[in-house]
Amino acid sequence: MPIETIAEELRRKGISRREFMKISGAIAGVIGLMDSPVRVLAKSIDPVERVLKALETKQRVPVIWLEFQDCAGCSEALTRSQAPTLVDLVLNTLTIEYHETLSAAAGFQAEEAKQAAMKKYAGAYVLVVEGSIPTADGGVYCTIGGRTAEDLINEASEGAAAVIATGNCASFGGIPKASPNPTGARSAMSVLAKDKPLINIPGCPAIPEVTTGVIAQYILFGVPELDSLKRPIAFYGNTIHDRCLRRPFYEAGKYTASFDDEGARQGWCLYKLGCKGPTTYNACATIKWDAGLSFPVQSGHPCLGCSQPDFWDGGGFYQGQSAPLSRPAIAAVAAAAGIGAAAGIGAALVNRSQKKHPAPQAPAQAGEEKEAK
Amino acid sequence: MNWNNALEFVRGPLFNAALIIFIGGMAYRLVRVLLLGWRSDKVPGKGSKLGGVILSYLKGLVIWPFIPWVQNTFMRNPLIYLAGGLFHLSLFIVLLLGTAHMLVWKSLLGFGWPTLPLPIVDWMAAAGIAAMIALAINRLIHPVLKLLTGAAEWLNLLFVFLPMVSGYILTHHLFFPYEMGFTIHMAVVDALLIWIPFSRIAHFMFYFFSRTIHGAQFGKRAATP
Repeated sequence: MPIETIAEELRRKGISRREFMKISGAIAGVIGLMDSPVRVLAKSIDPVERVLKALETKQRVPVIWLEFQDCAGCSEALTRSQAPTLVDLVLNTLTIEYHETLSAAAGFQAEEAKQAAMKKYAGAYVLVVEGSIPTADGGVYCTIGGRTAEDLINEASEGAAAVIATGNCASFGGIPKASPNPTGARSAMSVLAKDKPLINIPGCPAIPEVTTGVIAQYILFGVPELDSLKRPIAFYGNTIHDRCLRRPFYEAGKYTASFDDEGARQGWCLYKLGCKGPTTYNACATIKWDAGLSFPVQSGHPCLGCSQPDFWDGGGFYQGQSAPLSRPAIAAVAAAAGIGAAAGIGAALVNRSQKKHPAPQAPAQAGEEKEAK
Repeated sequence: MNWNNALEFVRGPLFNAALIIFIGGMAYRLVRVLLLGWRSDKVPGKGSKLGGVILSYLKGLVIWPFIPWVQNTFMRNPLIYLAGGLFHLSLFIVLLLGTAHMLVWKSLLGFGWPTLPLPIVDWMAAAGIAAMIALAINRLIHPVLKLLTGAAEWLNLLFVFLPMVSGYILTHHLFFPYEMGFTIHMAVVDALLIWIPFSRIAHFMFYFFSRTIHGAQFGKRAATP
């Protein structure tokens, strides 16, 4: 493998020093959103300079991007991202060796290219997984080139330095895993070995700037600080609710009751319309979508909680979050009332018989008590 | 296992189970009371049973609590009148007129109703919590109440106190991440639902039961309940 730093490669590809500085600034901006690594470094080195230094000293890290049970929405979102410098950098210039949706090659050629990349960069590449992995019925529900998704991910992860699961499907199983989960869909996290470094970037789709930001951060500084669900804290440290622009209305108890009432026009809180913002960790409210133009809650739609595990089974999208996930079946309620009433009748009958015949009952009870002791 | 899974469990299966136990338990209690037996009543009716029931409810729910000088309820025991009354009023407002709780009723019953603004509900919840603390202290120091208070009474207080405090914490996003606070709130609510039928908290239903019977009996005899 030729030893060439990222900066050298960029220069070879015709990127000027000025553009290079811009790229460094963009990366520093995205990956240093909240704290690490900027928090530590702000005292000594300017974050942009640190990114510059890393680009100038680190080698290019290739990315192999696999898609399983997905809609390619995360890839689509990425290609339509409005942060061209960073996305261009990550997608075209820097990293992608193999990507099923973006690849010009098809069929055996594409498979060969993947095998070649895995061999060439063994132990060094990053594996990005999009989509869930079906495990039911021997994994027949998703096969590529005649091989099951489980087989492919295990093969590709073996030589990977780290795995990045993008989107809710790869991170937590997503829609394919929704009840009744006919394909036995599972997340990358649950299929792969526990000791493999893995970063989850959930969302439906994942925010493109977060995906590229995390890839860039991994390339430059290694695995970022993660939470218990392996999400980068820099992007998933706060809930939508924490950073929501409608939060003051929540505090004031001003709720929109329908999509077309006075509250909706005034931009009140969407809690009553089923907003899942309070339990949803993502950067939508800060990074937003379409070049920071807007995000669902800003546009008047409640958060669906698409970056949370099992969001598809987390109660109705338009049902207030305080409501229980389901209500007991009428038959179950009737049965419970019936059993309760029957027990009541039974107890009453026993009471009455004890009342009528108190003498014979007393010694039996005493005997029972002795036995219990 | 993370807080998300825990939350799904306490909002889903555990809540359903608790609700079913609650309904079954209350049915059991009601049947037990009904089957204690009715004394045959051969008195010829002088007045209206329905009128007696209505008067009974008016007195129990409106006149005595809100117009203290009618029965001198305040002067008889100011602490019980204020703290006990405030506590019950707080429960009523928070559980029925708070937006979050109305949404629970809506999901169970299929219809909703207008709710009070959050700040009002919020202050009522705080007042209810303060009232509960006052009542608990009263139980600790009152010489007669001390004799009457056993483990069941303390558990009753605890089982109601925990949902109220955790709900307040949840609304204000204090101390815990939201899903953790939500999980704790739902878990203690589920525990309360299971506890109610087997405790004296069941009076929330038997109160109406006994007022109806009393009112009808008094009404029939044209007496004032």
